Amino acid sequence: MNALALIQGLRFVDSFFPSGGFAYSSGLEAAVQGGAVRNAGDLSRYVEDLLLNGMGRREAVAVARAWDAQARGSWREAVATDWELDSMKIGRESRQASRQMGRQVIRIAAEQIDGQSILRDFHAAVEAERTPCHLAVSLGLALAAAGWSREDAVAAYLYQTATGLMSAALKLLPIGQREGQRLLDGWMPLIAELSGQTQPDMTMTSWSPIQDIYAMRHSNLESRLFRS
Amino acid sequence: MARDMTHAVTETADVGRVGDLALDYVRQGTRTVLTQSRCCSPWHFSPPIQLDDSACTYTPLVNPSGGLVGGDRLSVRATLGPDAHVLFSTPSANRVYRSLGETAVQTVDLSVGSGAILEWIPDVTIPFAGSRFRQAIHVTLAPGATVLLWDAIASGRVARGERWAFTSLENEIRIVTVSGQSVLERYALAPSVHGVGRAAAWDYVGSLYLVGDGVDAVRWKQLDAQLAAILDARPGAVLGGVSEPAVPGLAVKLVAKSAPDLNETLDELWQAIRLTLWNLPRPALRRY
Repeated sequence: MNALALIQGLRFVDSFFPSGGFAYSSGLEAAVQGGAVRNAGDLSRYVEDLLLNGMGRREAVAVARAWDAQARGSWREAVATDWELDSMKIGRESRQASRQMGRQVIRIAAEQIDGQSILRDFHAAVEAERTPCHLAVSLGLALAAAGWSREDAVAAYLYQTATGLMSAALKLLPIGQREGQRLLDGWMPLIAELSGQTQPDMTMTSWSPIQDIYAMRHSNLESRLFRS
Repeated sequence: MARDMTHAVTETADVGRVGDLALDYVRQGTRTVLTQSRCCSPWHFSPPIQLDDSACTYTPLVNPSGGLVGGDRLSVRATLGPDAHVLFSTPSANRVYRSLGETAVQTVDLSVGSGAILEWIPDVTIPFAGSRFRQAIHVTLAPGATVLLWDAIASGRVARGERWAFTSLENEIRIVTVSGQSVLERYALAPSVHGVGRAAAWDYVGSLYLVGDGVDAVRWKQLDAQLAAILDARPGAVLGGVSEPAVPGLAVKLVAKSAPDLNETLDELWQAIRLTLWNLPRPALRRY
């Protein structure tokens, strides 16, 4: 990857990018309030589980499919994956968060990455409400258009998921920045392994019932720092 | 890695039994009646039962062999005509026995006509140590149709200390509405390869889907609050959440420590839904 491709893609996963991701905890806030995540060890197992059996088997495949759709110039394939992901995200808050962040990515990618008609076509479908625009799909499209490899795009998505959870954890748990970096470092081999395994022809599956339940319970919390 | 289950369940196997149960229902006056049935072993045809004076007819899904062995391919197909109301359940748990090679497969295809109500409330699936199971449940809803679908698995034969010891379990539940949008749950478990994560602390995992475009949004809100309160009634023994899926309706996900906790919670959820949507009590089904 050349330097321009690197930084063109990097900005979409950078915390500076205005996706609004800081407002979401993916159910972690409910898990903390419910006593399921109390310390760094609990957090590590919670996130590893989510990566290994949840998002690493579902959203990761969606990223890979979107990347492939961009490579083939077929925005309709991206739309089909987008709807399938929408069907699988049964918790309203998680679904809305993913859609909101996805729309920010595709809006800017379609405006600013030159010569990529698929981004504009997909963005037009989003604006016409013909596709929900989940983050995994729009990020897969954007990073492919920026020149990133499929494996790198999947890794970037999973890394962004992990840092998003860590960012929320720093506000919810007695964990310091240095401890947070140590945990992130521990998740990286798993992210790299999943990224290397993920193929677009895989079936999207997800098994993270505990995390799903806490994400569904979040809207009923009496006090909330986050929107999911 | 996971395969395409929709395709995979149609593959032919060399061993095991092939059982098909096909049932067609229509609404006639105040009753729902069975107009056609086809059945082959191991399914046992059990005539529909009128539980009360409502239009609901109850059909027990009876597999006298008591469970599934590797290579079995069982299917259930049912069509509900406009305004029919059918409840399917099972007399006991669905046991999946140990298999050294072949996977036991169950496919369920349910078509729900305009204004009709389908309740699919089977007992829990118990995957024995070393078992291999694949299930696909597909429901298609016409305008105004409603489905209430429950699906639950146990970690194994809990009473003998067998937990999360099956070889593989793949499950797909898809409910398609008239708009083309759907709710889809799909997982593929191989505990010895990937573990089962945080669910390992629990022995039962269940999903309840209530989907239909004929119910007004206010009613969904009422039910959402009722179901959330029921899920909070057994802290430490049941953990559950309720939310709105991408189609009109509600989705419930829960885990439980014991079968009584699971079943009592389901009964309360079911009672609340029946009373709120149809002004009917939960039927008392005979189970073993």
